[in-house]
Amino acid sequence: MSYLSSLRLHFAGEFQANISTVNNDPGHFHNATFKDSYQTMQTAQAANGWFNPQGDASFRLLGCTVTAAWTAAGPAAPRDPILTYVVADSDGAVPAKLVDLDPEQQLVSEIWGLEVRIADKHGNTVLRGRYVPAAFTDIWDRASGGGGGDVGAGAAYQSVLEDLWWSEAITSPFLLALKQASQASGRLSIKFNVDGLNADFRSPRFMCGRIAGTIGPAAPGEPRHLVVGRHFLAVAMAGGNFFTPVGGLNHFPAVIEPETGRLIADLGNALSTATPGGAINDVGDLQLAVVDPSRPRSDPGAVVPLGTLAPATGSAGYAQVPGWYARTAGVVVMPLSEVQRRWLEHAPLAVTGHASVGIAEAPNGTYLRADTYVYRMSPGESVEIPIRAMQWGRPLAGAAVSVAPDKSQLQPTPAEPPYVEAGPPVATPDDVLAVGPLPRTDADGITTLTLTGRDPGTPRWFNGGRDYGIDGQVYGLRPSFADPALAVPGPQVNQWDFISVLLWSGFAAPEPVTWTIVQPIFQQYANLYPVMLRFLNLADPEQLRENLPLLTLAFSLPVSDPNTMPVTRDLSPAKREAILAWLANPLPGDVAAPAALAASSAPTPRPPAGPGPGAGNPAAKGGKAAAAARRLIVQARNGAQS
Amino acid sequence: MIRLQRSMIAGLDRPDLATVQAKLQSAIQLEHSTIPLYLYALYSLDPQRNGEICGIIQEVVVEEMLHMILACNVLNAIGGTPGIDTPDFIPTYPGALPGGVESDLFVQLAPFSKTVPDGMSQLDCFIQIEEPEHPLAFKALAAVEEPVTIGQFYAKISQALADLAATDPNLFSATPRHQIGPDLMPEAVVVTDLASARQAIETIVEQGEGTTVSPLAVVGGGYAHYYRFQEIRHGRRLVPVPDAVEPEDRYSYAGAEVPFDPAGVYAVPTSPSAATYPAGSAASVANDTFNYTYTSLLKALHAMVNGAATPDQFNRALGIMMSLKSQARAMMSGLPDPGRLVGPSFEYLPVLPGTRG
Repeated sequence: MSYLSSLRLHFAGEFQANISTVNNDPGHFHNATFKDSYQTMQTAQAANGWFNPQGDASFRLLGCTVTAAWTAAGPAAPRDPILTYVVADSDGAVPAKLVDLDPEQQLVSEIWGLEVRIADKHGNTVLRGRYVPAAFTDIWDRASGGGGGDVGAGAAYQSVLEDLWWSEAITSPFLLALKQASQASGRLSIKFNVDGLNADFRSPRFMCGRIAGTIGPAAPGEPRHLVVGRHFLAVAMAGGNFFTPVGGLNHFPAVIEPETGRLIADLGNALSTATPGGAINDVGDLQLAVVDPSRPRSDPGAVVPLGTLAPATGSAGYAQVPGWYARTAGVVVMPLSEVQRRWLEHAPLAVTGHASVGIAEAPNGTYLRADTYVYRMSPGESVEIPIRAMQWGRPLAGAAVSVAPDKSQLQPTPAEPPYVEAGPPVATPDDVLAVGPLPRTDADGITTLTLTGRDPGTPRWFNGGRDYGIDGQVYGLRPSFADPALAVPGPQVNQWDFISVLLWSGFAAPEPVTWTIVQPIFQQYANLYPVMLRFLNLADPEQLRENLPLLTLAFSLPVSDPNTMPVTRDLSPAKREAILAWLANPLPGDVAAPAALAASSAPTPRPPAGPGPGAGNPAAKGGKAAAAARRLIVQARNGAQS
Repeated sequence: MIRLQRSMIAGLDRPDLATVQAKLQSAIQLEHSTIPLYLYALYSLDPQRNGEICGIIQEVVVEEMLHMILACNVLNAIGGTPGIDTPDFIPTYPGALPGGVESDLFVQLAPFSKTVPDGMSQLDCFIQIEEPEHPLAFKALAAVEEPVTIGQFYAKISQALADLAATDPNLFSATPRHQIGPDLMPEAVVVTDLASARQAIETIVEQGEGTTVSPLAVVGGGYAHYYRFQEIRHGRRLVPVPDAVEPEDRYSYAGAEVPFDPAGVYAVPTSPSAATYPAGSAASVANDTFNYTYTSLLKALHAMVNGAATPDQFNRALGIMMSLKSQARAMMSGLPDPGRLVGPSFEYLPVLPGTRG
């Protein structure tokens, strides 16, 4: 099943991702050198606090409506009320939060604390579900024109909705069918694509973008953030901000639905647009073909056409019909004959369009990925990470899998503008993450990686380790098939298919916990999140003492709660305990609150005199694009690595 | 002093349960109705420049929330169902307060003002709302008439509850029913009988008006709202005068300064509505987002006083209040765009529209 099911709904509208940007520069974590100007809006002359220093991390769904609903029998009846419903976030709690893992791994931002609702247009809820926190993946340079960097990027989120609540008063036949189909797992599968983020603070759409998504049933045992299916893998083109596929189509999954024999493909984050959040580019009628593995690729007869997966023009043309993307979220369906299904059972699929447009499965049809790929760990802690292997769209049993360190996509900082200083190194020390033995994959294609962390120390403190800095260390791990016959040959690789780990520093606060102990932690939050000045100055112990009950509550809430503090989730449990101990008994220390920030009110943004920090300045492209430009692999490619 | 329409107390002389429940629902709405007014003024102030005034208004708002919850407790204790999650729960600004005499006091969402030439400042309005039936004038007594006052309204409810309880021994749920207790809100009263119902009502009246002999509220220890707002007007804290004999000499606005910096007020519009802001404008988007959050708060409170009186639910509501504060502070102070000051219109909005209106 999953959202790639004949039973599914599509929705479209806007999202808001009001992230804060002071923490975009790792150098801003250096308390000893932090300046007030780092909390102000960027100008033509200076990156300052980048493009949204006052962000509060809120993630919201705005004006999202159900645009289509389908069952195995076809589209939902025109009078099915589902077609008048909205998809919304919580109406009884604060908005969800969008959270980076780390200033040196900003490319797996997670949504925490999101409730997804389906409601009538008056807001009366018929279905609620708790969105399991998920990170985006497959970020790429989606818009071919009209703005680059973050603004031109597209990415995808896949997760499940749990703890489902269904209204007793449901009258929609579609929803009743969805309820029935999700009964066994108690979950729904949800996937959405985001693009067209607006970073102009004068615009009504500031920090908003386009969202289009799909909700379907989830089957028991299914992965939460991944489709067990056929994965089309792009080849990277040199250059660009995030990822530019050689064949013009980004990575995407598809399934062959056993019950109906249909191929259902998700092109939602694979089709490029003319402008950010704009119309889909015409890359030609997309033809599905199967590649005969017994014949050489150079043989024209090796590619057997199966039919049109998605026409570019005509009454169903993705590049012609207004609202096509909103009504489909890019999901396309193609019936397959039994003969066709047999052809592709053990042969790779390919999709082609105009000349030079194309993407295919790996020649051996394999795919491997961790289901959840973002982890935070304390020293001594172990996490179990399910990794899914598949071939020809089915779980691959008995496969040997290995995991290797891969820091190529992490983002250390060079000592050049707009950065205020060189950021600390990533992935060092390199011997603190222990990988347990990996059994061969089971019948469901699953092997579970046990990862155990030792204390990395404080490798990311500044000034040669003397000044308080970024907590812990960030690592990348990439799983791959140990058997060369299963490994994907050639250049097809999804660079984003790796596991990101933030391993906290060991921290044992001396008893009793005084202000001296917790001051650097509070100071760093006060520096990085000016939004907090709307409540209090976190660097001022007197103001903290005046707000002890509220602070104790906010620091005590589970990390899954959208109200938890810090919203950025970048506080280790050990330091959280120290803070709670201090809040319970706020003893003085011998560190005074720095006067500079204690006196400043909510900073007033200064409108840029020009179009943002000058051309060539990474900050002008946005936080993610700037981070992406710092990746080791990109630096190596550009010959900039020292 | 707010004068209420006589209909607010109609039927309370020979009360039946439904009438008393309806009056308590009116009380809940009345207690809520001042909160947007006070919050609008509060968040129109730059706390760096007008911190003392912010502190005073903030304290009053917190007590108004308590009063609203106390009225819910009393209503729940006699088997009622507080209704908070409805569009008409929110008063229309500008307008009279719920049940108020229209010609008496016309309230509006407005930035804080201490004095205005030839008119009523927002502070004057607040003082009038909170004016006791018999204010202790401290040498500044003003004559007032004797219409239906908020104090009388509550006195009537209190008496009606006593009358009902005299004939119906099961009027009150002896087992706490949907009660918000002091574990969740300090000074909250769990209502299980006539005595605790009267205690809840007295808390509302005394925190608002003070007693007839002292500006001090019996519960909580602070001054009643009227006197706190007077501190702003006088620019000085109210302090006891040792050894004074006459009641009006026992306190004096002679304490620490309560300074007002007129430059520390953001020039937000007066009584904005959603229609004030052009559809699709940045101001409209900010206002919509605020209103959606505000509506979410009403829904969260509605759930809390209708069976979900749990710490988790209370914390959810508290979180939404913090989000409202954050949003209001930003939009009213010109964040992210200093060229755009937006005042929230406090309207019911159960679905968040897109940015294009």
